[in-house]
Amino acid sequence: MARNGVSPLSLGPEKLPSRAGLVVVGGGVIGCSIAREATRYTPDVVVLEKESDVACGTSKANNAEVHSGIGEDAGTLKQKLNVRGNQMYDEFVRGLGVELKRQGLLIVVTQRTIPRDGGMPEEERMELLTRKIPAGIVAYGENAGIRGLRILSRDEVFRMEPNVTREAVAGVFDPTYGLISPYKLTIALAEHAVINGARVFLDTEVTGFRVEDGAVRAVVTNRGEIESSLVVNASGVFADEVADMAGAGGFKIHPRKGATLLFDRQVTAEYVRSSVAEFRLPGQRTTQSKGGGAMPTAEGNLQLGPTAIEVEDKYDTSISAEEIEEIFERFHYLLPDFPRDALISAFSGVRAPTLEEDFVIGASEAVRGFVNVAGIQSPGLASAPAIAEMVLGILHDLGLPREPRPDFDPVRPAPPKFSELSNRERNRLVREDPRWGNVICRCETVTEMEVVNAIHSIIPATNMDAVKRRTRTGMGRCQGGFCHNRVAAILARELGIHVTEVTKDGEGSPVFLGVAKEFLGGGTR
Amino acid sequence: MSAVRRPQCVVIGAGPAGLGAALAAREAGLGDVMLLERDFELGGILPQCIHDGFGSIVFDQVLTGPQYAQRFIDRVEAAGIEVKLNTMVLEMRGDRRITAVNPRDGVFELEPASIVLAMGCRERTRHQVMIPGYRPAGVICAGAAQRDINIEGLMPGRRVVILGSGDIGLIMARRFTLEGAEVEGVYEIMDHPGGLTRNVVQCLHDYDIPLHLSHTVTFIHGRKRVEAVTVTRVDENLKPIKGTERRVPCDALVLSVGLIPENELSKQAGVELDPLTAGPVVDERMHTSVDGIFACGNVVCVFDLVDWVTQTAERAGRSAAEYVLEGGRRKRRPPVRVTAGRNVKFVVPQLLREFDREIELFFRVEHPERAARTRVLVDGEELYSRKAKMVRPPEMVKAGADPGGARRELENITVEVVTEEEEA
Repeated sequence: MARNGVSPLSLGPEKLPSRAGLVVVGGGVIGCSIAREATRYTPDVVVLEKESDVACGTSKANNAEVHSGIGEDAGTLKQKLNVRGNQMYDEFVRGLGVELKRQGLLIVVTQRTIPRDGGMPEEERMELLTRKIPAGIVAYGENAGIRGLRILSRDEVFRMEPNVTREAVAGVFDPTYGLISPYKLTIALAEHAVINGARVFLDTEVTGFRVEDGAVRAVVTNRGEIESSLVVNASGVFADEVADMAGAGGFKIHPRKGATLLFDRQVTAEYVRSSVAEFRLPGQRTTQSKGGGAMPTAEGNLQLGPTAIEVEDKYDTSISAEEIEEIFERFHYLLPDFPRDALISAFSGVRAPTLEEDFVIGASEAVRGFVNVAGIQSPGLASAPAIAEMVLGILHDLGLPREPRPDFDPVRPAPPKFSELSNRERNRLVREDPRWGNVICRCETVTEMEVVNAIHSIIPATNMDAVKRRTRTGMGRCQGGFCHNRVAAILARELGIHVTEVTKDGEGSPVFLGVAKEFLGGGTR
Repeated sequence: MSAVRRPQCVVIGAGPAGLGAALAAREAGLGDVMLLERDFELGGILPQCIHDGFGSIVFDQVLTGPQYAQRFIDRVEAAGIEVKLNTMVLEMRGDRRITAVNPRDGVFELEPASIVLAMGCRERTRHQVMIPGYRPAGVICAGAAQRDINIEGLMPGRRVVILGSGDIGLIMARRFTLEGAEVEGVYEIMDHPGGLTRNVVQCLHDYDIPLHLSHTVTFIHGRKRVEAVTVTRVDENLKPIKGTERRVPCDALVLSVGLIPENELSKQAGVELDPLTAGPVVDERMHTSVDGIFACGNVVCVFDLVDWVTQTAERAGRSAAEYVLEGGRRKRRPPVRVTAGRNVKFVVPQLLREFDREIELFFRVEHPERAARTRVLVDGEELYSRKAKMVRPPEMVKAGADPGGARRELENITVEVVTEEEEA
């Protein structure tokens, strides 16, 4: 059942290859970006992912932002790669079938940026708020290489975003800011890599490395060993532990959680058109994040967040009542009338910063052939193209072929989305296969055929969440109440398993615990 | 695409509301009635409601959900009403143009002379009541769990905590127990049960399932599958009281925290909604703000008795038929708005236009009250009054009043609850 080498355990384990030219540890957006870029030069690439799908860590739970770099500290690697990554993005996603929307960022300067009671003469205060601060923001961004920044008057701010607080006094618009679905991008990159010869192994956890004479020789996993003299460590929050397994460490990842609230897109469509963030002076930030914002998702839901809370557990994707309140309070100022009642979901992701708070990218000095790509927190999604470019440079130096392949296929075909088609196209599909006319998820208008396609895609969806990431089933206002049993039944049918074996997101997360009467002692499967 | 069809009436949704409305429209003289249903069978939520308690008003009999539904299904089939199953309405416009899809017909368009909205309601989810914690498998709404067990034959939990004592939550406490699962308890944030008294007795007391009033779930534990929930006592402002947390091991959290009328299509068509009911504003003919679009059942407001859903459906179906047979030419008189007075949360219908027949008003109280009198005031004159030992939010009240066929201009109609204490 394995296709193109992809082989989650639930589809029957395929043997790992005995050797590979390059092994990438981690199937997040960074690992998959590097793998896809590497296949431009060699098909001999293997990606190892311990979860049941790609994009299961930080890559699935962030705000989908392609930042410009304006929020980063000058002179950091982060800022350099962010600015470059943003500029590379259109080319990077070409042929992937994933939409990049450059909706822009509106930075709002408000009355509370410099409080009235600070003792400053009012004329001087307004001069700062409406001229000097906006001009400073623009100068800072231009200095970092960001193009197209422009200062907005108070009226222009309201024309652009009518729901912003009346406390706004001026703004800066950054047109390069974008949005992209981070998990759709990751899935597309992984599939594109597979189309070009790479193999992605899910449910495959790295447990160690074989290092001889100061060079990496093999990657040891729960499913066997792969010989390779080139390894990229793109394992996100676990990057320090994975590096330590090889003796190539020396940095520490301290997980930092971020929670985001998500609103019904029918209610919040156009509530904000761009990403909207409040400008705060240094020292006014309450958290170790850029402060977050209000923005549409790639699919049009309003999102508010994220928070930034240091946590012990790298798996801590919980959300506390205090966090939810904090988000509501924070955005009450910026968007006084935002529609609280349209809240449909909240999610939390774990960032992977190092103590230095900058990206750690480079060949290990201790272990030849081992490349760390660590500390990738926001703006990691925005920086992904530039990170991949930088890592490819390092890999070429370590022996990866330099000659681009003439047979590289530039296109990853994306399956059709019923909700985005014209009625004529819809009818053509229904005539081809009536499953295109069977709406499974009523809130998001997802048809049976889209679910089937997701299950049989190049990186196959083998559980409820994986189907959801590819099709949006269960992502709407009823949150799967009406469709969970239908999606589970299709998964069971297509995978040839019993419906009680269907999981939410891999091992240990069964959707159903038994069949009726089973707990009475009389049930049979 | 095939030619646009123009039925006399299209009913959206084939639960008790849609079935009743389609039949009423047919029986009132429409030959060309079409019933659209997104599920694979008729009956809406009723086929999964295998408990009894349905039909005492309409049939003077106690029936199960499937029995109640079947009586209408048989009649719909006998009446020659065109039924389209597995059919999802994709779009409805204010000029009554409907776009729908199903596997047989593909995408098709309808331009009916009238529409009856009968889409029912959906369940409020964990995020709408903002329960913090992880997002594991095993957090499920009570109605969805009911479908899993009674239709699919699947158990979504084995050791269950139920949050919310609405009727579905209570019924599912009993249902899980009968299936051999353990229900640790039912937790209710309010200081009174959310469901009918008979359900508290028959579903909890009879099975020794504890009901914890003034409690809520404040955290969901478990990264992959629910492992436990934290339950906490709440104060009079419904805020959790620090120090009263208790961790309850369980593998499923079942939520019965409210229902929301499904009005996404109504919004598309520009139908005016009442913020109090989250359903369309209707008049005594169940006519919405959009000409030729009627509504009935739980899409209008959440009823607790299916019999009353049927009554509104018959009214809507009959009105749609009258509307079509009159050629849509009847002039709609300017409405009088019905005011929700003291201790009344909402009233349906919200508008009254004609007073040549008895008015029937459905309403819900805001908070429980003893020794209460409900009354309807028409321009200050009390035209309906009824004493009750107790009024409670879960139990909807129906009041009738006859304004005496008045052709006179009315200004104000108020529904209110007064207590003996106050009157004294």
